[in-house]
Amino acid sequence: MSQSHDRVAVCIWNAVPCRGERLDATGSKDGRPGSDVMQRLWFQTSSMKKPDLKLVLLGDMNVGKTSLLHRYMERRFQDTVSTVGGAFYLKQWGPYNISIWDTAGREQFHGLGSMYCRAASAVILTYDVSNMQSLLELEDRFLGLTDTANDDCIFAVVGNKIDLTDDYDSESDMEGERPRTSSKIRKQVDLEDAIALYKRIMKYKMLDENVVPAAEKMCFETSAKTGYNVDGLFEGVFNMVVPLIVKKKASGHDETVNLAQSKPEKSKNRCC
Amino acid sequence: MSVQAFRLVCASEREQFPQGIHIECLECSGHDLYLGTSDCVIYHLLLVEQQLSEPTSLVQQTDQPCTSFTTTQQRQRQLGLKKPICELRAASALSRLLVLCDNTISILCSESLEPLPAPKIRGVLTFTLNENPVSGDPFSVELCLISSKKRTVQIFSVGQERVQLIREVATPEQACVIAADGLYLCLALSSRYITLNYNTGHCQDLFPYPSDQKKPIVKWISRQEFLLAGPSGLGMFATVAGITQRAPVRWSDNVIGAAISFPYVLALDEEFITVHSMLDQQKKQTLPFKEGIILQDFEGRVIVASCNGVYVLIPLPLEKQIQDLLSSQRVEEALALAKGARRNIPKEKFQVMYRRILQQAGFIQFAKLQFLEAKELFRSSQLDIRELISLYPLMLPSSSSFIRTHPPLHEYADLNQLTRGDQEKVNKCKRFLMTYLSEIRSTEVANGYQEDVDTALLKLYAEANHESLLDLLVSENSCEVSDSASWLEKHKKYFALGLLYHYNKQDAAALQIWVKIINGELEDSTRPDLFEYVVDFLTFSRDQHLVWQYADWVLQKSEQVGVRIFTKRSPEEYTQNGFCPDKIVSYLCKYHKALLLFLEHLVLEKMLQKEKYHTHLAVLYVEEVQRLNAMDSPDIEQVEMQRGRLQNLLRQSDLYRVHLLIDKIKGTDLHMERAILHGKLEEHGQALDILVHHLKNFAAAENYCVWNSEGRDTPYRQHLFQLLLSSYLTFASHDNSFLVAAVDLLNNHPAEFDAASVLRLLPENWSVQLLSPFLAGAMREHVHALRMSQITIGLAKAENVVYKQEKLNLREKPIVLSDKKYCSVCRNPFQEPVFVRYPSGQIVHTHCATKSHVNSSIGVHLPKPNKQT
Ligand SMILES: Nc1nc2c(ncn2[C@@H]2O[C@H](COP(=O)(O)OP(=O)(O)OP(=O)(O)O)[C@@H](O)[C@H]2O)c(=O)[nH]1
Ligand SMILES: [Mg+2]
Repeated sequence: MSQSHDRVAVCIWNAVPCRGERLDATGSKDGRPGSDVMQRLWFQTSSMKKPDLKLVLLGDMNVGKTSLLHRYMERRFQDTVSTVGGAFYLKQWGPYNISIWDTAGREQFHGLGSMYCRAASAVILTYDVSNMQSLLELEDRFLGLTDTANDDCIFAVVGNKIDLTDDYDSESDMEGERPRTSSKIRKQVDLEDAIALYKRIMKYKMLDENVVPAAEKMCFETSAKTGYNVDGLFEGVFNMVVPLIVKKKASGHDETVNLAQSKPEKSKNRCC
Repeated sequence: MSVQAFRLVCASEREQFPQGIHIECLECSGHDLYLGTSDCVIYHLLLVEQQLSEPTSLVQQTDQPCTSFTTTQQRQRQLGLKKPICELRAASALSRLLVLCDNTISILCSESLEPLPAPKIRGVLTFTLNENPVSGDPFSVELCLISSKKRTVQIFSVGQERVQLIREVATPEQACVIAADGLYLCLALSSRYITLNYNTGHCQDLFPYPSDQKKPIVKWISRQEFLLAGPSGLGMFATVAGITQRAPVRWSDNVIGAAISFPYVLALDEEFITVHSMLDQQKKQTLPFKEGIILQDFEGRVIVASCNGVYVLIPLPLEKQIQDLLSSQRVEEALALAKGARRNIPKEKFQVMYRRILQQAGFIQFAKLQFLEAKELFRSSQLDIRELISLYPLMLPSSSSFIRTHPPLHEYADLNQLTRGDQEKVNKCKRFLMTYLSEIRSTEVANGYQEDVDTALLKLYAEANHESLLDLLVSENSCEVSDSASWLEKHKKYFALGLLYHYNKQDAAALQIWVKIINGELEDSTRPDLFEYVVDFLTFSRDQHLVWQYADWVLQKSEQVGVRIFTKRSPEEYTQNGFCPDKIVSYLCKYHKALLLFLEHLVLEKMLQKEKYHTHLAVLYVEEVQRLNAMDSPDIEQVEMQRGRLQNLLRQSDLYRVHLLIDKIKGTDLHMERAILHGKLEEHGQALDILVHHLKNFAAAENYCVWNSEGRDTPYRQHLFQLLLSSYLTFASHDNSFLVAAVDLLNNHPAEFDAASVLRLLPENWSVQLLSPFLAGAMREHVHALRMSQITIGLAKAENVVYKQEKLNLREKPIVLSDKKYCSVCRNPFQEPVFVRYPSGQIVHTHCATKSHVNSSIGVHLPKPNKQT
């Protein structure tokens, strides 16, 4: 318990126990901690209460998915170990519960991706700006996993570790500031590459470019290490998806697809 | 860190079984335990739970009784094949045991283990019973199997004597493991897991698993949810819809079996049994267990078996687990566990337990200074607020009878121990208590402990110099007096102390404190305007004695302010003895200024119509003017102001004794005042003489005429103006200014004169030109008056004519009196030719008329007497 800190846990399982790493003490500091305690407990114990929507982080190993989520939920950057299987956080966003799934980028867990993405409302495709291959992998390996996501799923493309590049001044850890300095490695992936990828994704999904959010709005560059643009990313995505839930609720369609409830009805129709 | 969630106890040692026994499968239903062996024998045993008190020599396992199990063998049966028994499933409601051996399911009687004549099912790879069948028929079970020959799954309904195939569905590949829930099957194919709706045939891919994995595991865990062995030793959760709702648990790579005992997932590998919580996916416990081959849960009981021994995993009492978690500060886990256990514990018991856990958790959070969390926990667990207050030294009133609950909710003696004397932390804790108490004091949380809450709050406020201290004391509160008083004294909150006394109806004590502050004997700068506060306090105090007691003190401090205790009192008190004006006036004679203010109050504000006060006030005014005038260098402005007051009073009041005042101002230069006084005596000649000749103040003289004739008739007014005119004219020959004044007077007030008599007064030599405004005005006035009277006469005449006409109308027709006419009042005929006729035409007896006139029952039509006719 030496590493635990004072906040209480969301259900998360992550990391390899042999390192003594236990992220049992995560919790959002979103300003409503009091009610959060009970809120979370209730969710954990009664499986009745389902999150209103699901957001999934995909991307190659080591690009910083876990670090991004950790930065957003706990407001800090901490050493991570490569994720095993997956982990999830619950985030209260206004009246909605959003479950955020952190997936494992390692090849051996690739097969789980489709299940994680099933019925997702938003997918954040993450790459490492200092590693071109990680961007290519998104298209080759991860895009296919999103076939199980909702039809109106929102996509965001995120280049993480911007702090490593010569584009970013590490001295000013203030969010939103990006003066130039040198002595950094060359940025391998430009934002334009990500925008191009985003457009290809829309084509792949056969979505009308005029209907979906603009590529410029859905491509982010972040640093989990400094916190640069991390809130911008998550909040931007939340604000984009929430209207979808509202719309769905209004049209009387439950967000979480429940085959068990819908199928028997169909079969009944068939019998008659 | 781990929890002890389970204890592993042996149910049957290897000695109990024949040598060389090799258990292949087992089934447990209630007390019945069935074992299937590799040499085709089925054993039926009774599994008996025993409660033993723990021998003290053993590990200090606290006070809970120690459960153990024994087995006694009932029956055994050799099925006669040389094949191992692969699966056993009991259908206890049907008293049947389903046995899979040599790819064939046979049905035995669960008591006798005799085979039944019912048909066997052949070609079975493996089978399961649907945990949650849709049919809901209590006299059948739903059997789901994987066919060993065809690439299908089959669903059977099995009753006591019959077996019926309901459905057969092809699978994409040969399946090897099956679990069922409702209409769904969860299957392990050769390299992936799927769910299959056997009604529609719809397949849902879950995820692939490496085909080199030893053995796929598919475990039903709850409605529509399964637990599956995934890649790299992951225990994955998946719903029938192919969604995962819980993060995976991490097992070792070679898990043999998994079981559920809410809220834990247990897994067996070659060396260990591991326990993970489904609530947070953490590994909670590891139990070494070698050579295990089976781990299964049966109706909540987890059994693990090696090839020749059976063991039971007994969950430790939840409360113990929770207490362990709490004592290692793992609040969230403890709460999750408690909440998760809700359905397994009777409601009342749960609520008591859960409340206590919440409270303990609250104190843990509190000790970590996580106040928001602590507050929420305290609030939701309805913590007796005194438990919290009692942590703070000296905060509970000394009279409080509170004793902390036992066993204690936390380990801390007090705040100092909790913070290890860190003053910074102590202050944070105090601030927390302050806000918390102020939030709850008006809610039901404080019910019954109002005194403890308010007293503690008062102490905190006083200590922190918090402004809400005063708000607390002036609003409804239950602060304990003596304890609070000494605390306030200690912290030099003397003003607040006064408020406390006042709230508790000890006004004398309150005043005593405040007076000391004002006199500088005590120091408290809470209210810079404390003196005025005290004056107001006395003003509104109903306690006569107190007011009189402090009256001298107050007036000596300031007459101006102090007199408010009399002038601002509520009016009804004047009629009471204690504060009747006479008493106050005679009391105030020592305080000149205050007396003046008080009389002003009586005369000018209260409008008391008493000669005594008016005269007294006027005399005081005169004396004040004289006093001011007598000063070395009199302040002209002030003198004028004072004289203005005096004159106003003299003019407006009719009650004072005029002669007395004339005497009083005799020989002074208060001419204007004297003129007013003469005016009051109707000695207008003298008055105007003073104004015109002594003061030469023509404006004042004109004003004099105006206000003295106010409300009087025209002749009186004309008389006054004419007096003034004559007065001017007397001196007009000497002094031109009088002449001008006379002309102006006439021209400005033509209507105030009787023009005819004025003209006679005027000197011959005045030109018409000079007086033309007056003449024109006077003419207009006369003509107007004339026309007005003509109109009045005309109107009166017209009215007279109207009445005359009415009278004639009434006399016009004769009135015939016959036997058929009845009196309108008494309804009797007329006896004599005498009657009274009303203007409406009704006729009545004369005596009835007088009566009815008195009763006025029909008198409504009588014309009203009119003075104008
Ligand atoms: N400099 C820098 N390092 C980062 C940043 N984000 C993550 N890292 C580092 O990158 C490594 C991988 O980060 P993770 O968050 O574990 O990556 P991941 O995407 O979750 O990887 P998998 O769980 O294996 O899929 C860690 O050593 C992090 O410290 C960043 O913004 N800047
Ligand atoms: Mg990770």
